[in-house]
Amino acid sequence: MSDLAVAVGNLALRGPVMAASGTFGYGTEVPLLDRTKLAGMVSKGIFLRPRAGTPPPRIVETPSGMLNAIGLQGPGVEALIRDYAPLWASWDFPVLVNLNAESIDEYGELAARLDGVPGVGGFEVNISCPNVEQGGMYFGNDPVAAARVTAAVRQRTRLPVWVKLTPMVTDIAVVARAVEAEGADAVSAVNTFVGMSIDLNTRRPRLANRTGGLSGPAVRPLAVHLAHQVARSVRIPVIGIGGIATAEDALEFLVAGCRAVQVGTATFVDGAAIARVHDGIAAYLERTAIASLEELPRCLPKD
Amino acid sequence: MFQLEAPLTGRRQVARDTFVLSFAAPEVAEAALPGQFVNLLLRPGPLLRRPFSVFRATEGRVEILLRAVGAGTAGLLALEAGDRVSMLGPLGNGFTLDPAWGSVALVSGGLGAAPFPIAAAAARAEGLTVTWVHGARSAADLCSEWEGDDALWATDDGSRGHHGSALDAVPDGIGAVLACGPNSMLAAVAGRWPQAQVAVETYMGCGTGVCLGCAVPLASGGYDRACREGPVYRAAAIDWKALPGHLHYAVGA
Repeated sequence: MSDLAVAVGNLALRGPVMAASGTFGYGTEVPLLDRTKLAGMVSKGIFLRPRAGTPPPRIVETPSGMLNAIGLQGPGVEALIRDYAPLWASWDFPVLVNLNAESIDEYGELAARLDGVPGVGGFEVNISCPNVEQGGMYFGNDPVAAARVTAAVRQRTRLPVWVKLTPMVTDIAVVARAVEAEGADAVSAVNTFVGMSIDLNTRRPRLANRTGGLSGPAVRPLAVHLAHQVARSVRIPVIGIGGIATAEDALEFLVAGCRAVQVGTATFVDGAAIARVHDGIAAYLERTAIASLEELPRCLPKD
Repeated sequence: MFQLEAPLTGRRQVARDTFVLSFAAPEVAEAALPGQFVNLLLRPGPLLRRPFSVFRATEGRVEILLRAVGAGTAGLLALEAGDRVSMLGPLGNGFTLDPAWGSVALVSGGLGAAPFPIAAAAARAEGLTVTWVHGARSAADLCSEWEGDDALWATDDGSRGHHGSALDAVPDGIGAVLACGPNSMLAAVAGRWPQAQVAVETYMGCGTGVCLGCAVPLASGGYDRACREGPVYRAAAIDWKALPGHLHYAVGA
């Protein structure tokens, strides 16, 4: 059996396959998964205060994908600390908390509140949030704002800080380098793509929110390309995300330069998807006589 | 909760464009309660599972009621005996039955009959007198299978039974009302019988409480999940104005 352990910065993971934010809840609700194959999880996105979320319909299936506009429904950071962190502290894989805020100060405040809480193993900063102080522009669309968010979190914690990049930018490498420069330990690439679907019975958007985040196999080639661009642009590890449902999907991201991957939408279909991906990666390494995951990115010719 | 590969064991037509499919799924059949649902995955097929109320669960078989409304249901209707689907279930919370009611009306519109044969059997086992009240657009759209002590029919065009809503066919003095159908119909149920138990329809992602896609707006504010806290609710507990009245299924694969 190949050793699938990887290190993302200072964080040691027992394998390369993690659960993506928003697709694993707070870790208590996904059924039928052999968690010895789970390398880590990123929590559902959390804000300082509770949020009700958006009105239904919140999801719609599209060809090979799904659009979602959940609106980051959640209990707020205090409930997360009270109800979930104590459970996480007893688990044998790290839990990173996905941080969300509407101002740079709030990101910092959130990190400060969670820093040192037993069970919190690190942070993944979701910069695909509107910056209310800057007219609602998304932090992640502006390398300067993305860098300031990263710095605000970095200053409040010594835990691992990962930044989840949005694909909705002109040049993702610019944003990746900006957050790397402010001390991000890794980047997650990529978040969902903004999409829209229209119901021709009503001639209105299918989602009450009009637009939503597209995920699933439909986005995979786009995500592999973006993750690859990021991997070529920064020295910090890249976590590949986007439509991974099988080991082959995950291996594409690993060959493209990612240190690890996150499985998201596939978990909705099959709670055991993460374990299947983990096992399939191990089988692939055995079959190809590739000694370790670190060799995979070196397989890809440079240009 | 079980996830198993369930072979199709039968298909029969029960109304215009409407079928009952039967799958061999002993563990799910054994565990299923009235009002619970199963989440079916077809490969090849659409990305996500599709939720279906348990129609009946007897002798190791789980039955569902469906009409071809999109790619998922069309794929299910194209299955042949022995073809397998992945079945996840039973899921959600079902109806609560109380022998003290004496009698209960199972009120459905169209495909809303889906949870009621199993509910009728359970209610009769509790000693309740069961009145089956079923409405549809036209006589040909009425589900031909029913269970209970007495059946009452309603059609929009008057071609069978009461001319109008199934709600108007519910007899006076009934002990309790359980209802399922389009959300617009359930909103009317809530107006007339706030204590009724209703099984709501939402789009659904995972079926296990993770994705928060199946949000049900509550009268008390906020949302909960049809798949976990529901799909059965006290009618008065839902903010009906905020719940889409009718869902269009037109998902391309």
